[in-house]
Amino acid sequence: MPFEVQRLSKRFGGLQALTGVSFHVRDGELLALIGPNGAGKSTLFECLAGVLPFDSGSIHSEGRPLSSNDLFYMPDGIAPWPQQPVGWVLDFTIGFFGGRKDLRQEVIEQLDLGALLRQPIGTLSKGQRKRALLAIGLLTPQPVLLIDEPLDGLDLRQMRDVAAALRVHASRGRTLFLSIHQISDAARFCDRFVLLSGGRICGEGTVEELAAQASVGSHDLEEVFLALT
Amino acid sequence: MRLRKFSPARHRHAFRWLLIKESRELLVSRAWWLLLFLMGPLAGISFISAMRTYAEVSGLNGTAAGVGEALSPLIGVWAPTFSACELAAVFLLPFVAIRIVAGDRHSGALKLELQRGISPFTRIAAKAMVALAGWLIAMLPPLSAIALWIFYGGVTHPPELLTLIAGHILNAGLTIAFGAAAASLTEHPSTAAILTLSVTVGTWVVTFFAAIQGGFWERVATFTPAAMVADFQHGLVRLDTVLIALALTLMGLGLAAIWQVLGKTETRRAGESAALIAVAALAITAFTFARPTWDTSEDRANSFPLTDELALRQIREPMKIVVHLAPEDPRRADLEHRALSKLRRIIPHLDIQYVSGTSIGIFEQTREGYGEIRYFIGNRTATSRVTTAEGVLETIYDLATMQLPKAPEEPVFRGHPLAVPPVGAPAIFYVVWPSLTLLAALLVRRGFH
Repeated sequence: MPFEVQRLSKRFGGLQALTGVSFHVRDGELLALIGPNGAGKSTLFECLAGVLPFDSGSIHSEGRPLSSNDLFYMPDGIAPWPQQPVGWVLDFTIGFFGGRKDLRQEVIEQLDLGALLRQPIGTLSKGQRKRALLAIGLLTPQPVLLIDEPLDGLDLRQMRDVAAALRVHASRGRTLFLSIHQISDAARFCDRFVLLSGGRICGEGTVEELAAQASVGSHDLEEVFLALT
Repeated sequence: MRLRKFSPARHRHAFRWLLIKESRELLVSRAWWLLLFLMGPLAGISFISAMRTYAEVSGLNGTAAGVGEALSPLIGVWAPTFSACELAAVFLLPFVAIRIVAGDRHSGALKLELQRGISPFTRIAAKAMVALAGWLIAMLPPLSAIALWIFYGGVTHPPELLTLIAGHILNAGLTIAFGAAAASLTEHPSTAAILTLSVTVGTWVVTFFAAIQGGFWERVATFTPAAMVADFQHGLVRLDTVLIALALTLMGLGLAAIWQVLGKTETRRAGESAALIAVAALAITAFTFARPTWDTSEDRANSFPLTDELALRQIREPMKIVVHLAPEDPRRADLEHRALSKLRRIIPHLDIQYVSGTSIGIFEQTREGYGEIRYFIGNRTATSRVTTAEGVLETIYDLATMQLPKAPEEPVFRGHPLAVPPVGAPAIFYVVWPSLTLLAALLVRRGFH
């Protein structure tokens, strides 16, 4: 279920957070939104998810506006239902959002949450909480999943496990759109990239396509990003 | 991946999960446990002191026999006992409502839940229902006082008790709605708490103004939560008050729902809020014309004797009463309470006007006509200074050229004296209830983790 963003703009008072942002998302891909801190990544995701109003522009999927049936957004740095244990929150996600019950155990194993199921979300460490949030996101039923900083707070091994888990879900046809500020992390496991800097899109495509846009010989995403921004 | 289809059954399923979630959130809310814990001692101190006074005037420890004959348990015991609910509704319940609504926003859960595509009004309704259920549990201590009263041998009159309980539930609904609205409108729970308490203080100011200024403020003050509860405490159900309370409750919940939708601009939310407030204001204005009232008190404290009511209903001509008494003159309160409030319930087109140059009336005493009550029926007039119910009725019958009705044949309320001290009540309210609350809180916490 691809969707297209056209000329999306958002202003906070005197600050222009997003300016004419346009790009498209393909079915079943692992797409990374790359940009430095303050580039507008979270703002863009919140606008796409409908939890933040945007000033102008449009988001369409197959000729119709995007709805809450189409995508789910998992913000960064939140501790939802902090007093509830992880296991119950996963059940709530399946029950309330209409998620897939058959994925519950698989997601728990993929994200190594078995030992945390009775722990309240509010008592988890940053990395543990991130894995719990990823589990919530992966259990939701929408065909597109937006995750803000999915690797933030994870150690190397966990990052590899999470990346592998995300790949598995993408391979089943789910579209994953990840906001990542560490370019090297994004380069490791994403198919395509949307580069955002200062609230503007600086490029969109695979590493090769971006390198061609930037006219750099190297296929190093960091160098390509620096050349394009 | 295929698109998920939403159906009413799925929405009902989601609503069930919302109710479960809100219930669990209530169970981990310290504000609610504190409310539960304090309700025991609050209801206990009110019930025990009311019982002691009631027992003494009923003849306990040597009081002259018969003094308590006219005592009504509604006024003597239940109104003070359930005043604990009024106190809790003002100072404790708002924090429970704020916690339930603001918690999601604070933790980030709101951003997730909004993506379910469920109506914000449904979300707020689930929260309000759970908060109200929490309040009903918190009402267990004053409700258990009823069981104690019956155990002591006391007599109850269910309609008046149900009216009193309904009044406190209605008041709690209002509090929850305003707490929810404040929590949605503000960024931080502490700001919401200040806002809610400000509204409460505002209603007190209105009451104070009404006592001094009279007129418009006096009318407005009859719809404050305190005045509403006072009516119910006397066993009086007024349709206008009930409808207005429900309208305000729905308005508060509506505002809470509107301001939970983060995906709309603040300008749009403000516009929707203004429209909602305008609709509520219209409805409230219309509801002020609702006249039906029901006196559920066993001693008919809010009504004239039935024979007088039947006689008064036969007066077809328009009636006007002009009262030359200042708002703070105690005679005015006497007249209002003993006669005019009862008269309003019987005669729908009664026009009552209060006239005074000052608020306290002391310096008006020498003014010609001060203290007079002028009656107009058709083109006949009469003037009196009597403020008792009997005096008012006599003047009206004279003016309407009606015969005084025969002495009432209805049974005279003799009261339900109960000369029994509240044995065991302190242990129940001060020890057993708080201990049970603490134990339950610990068990719930253990069960959750």
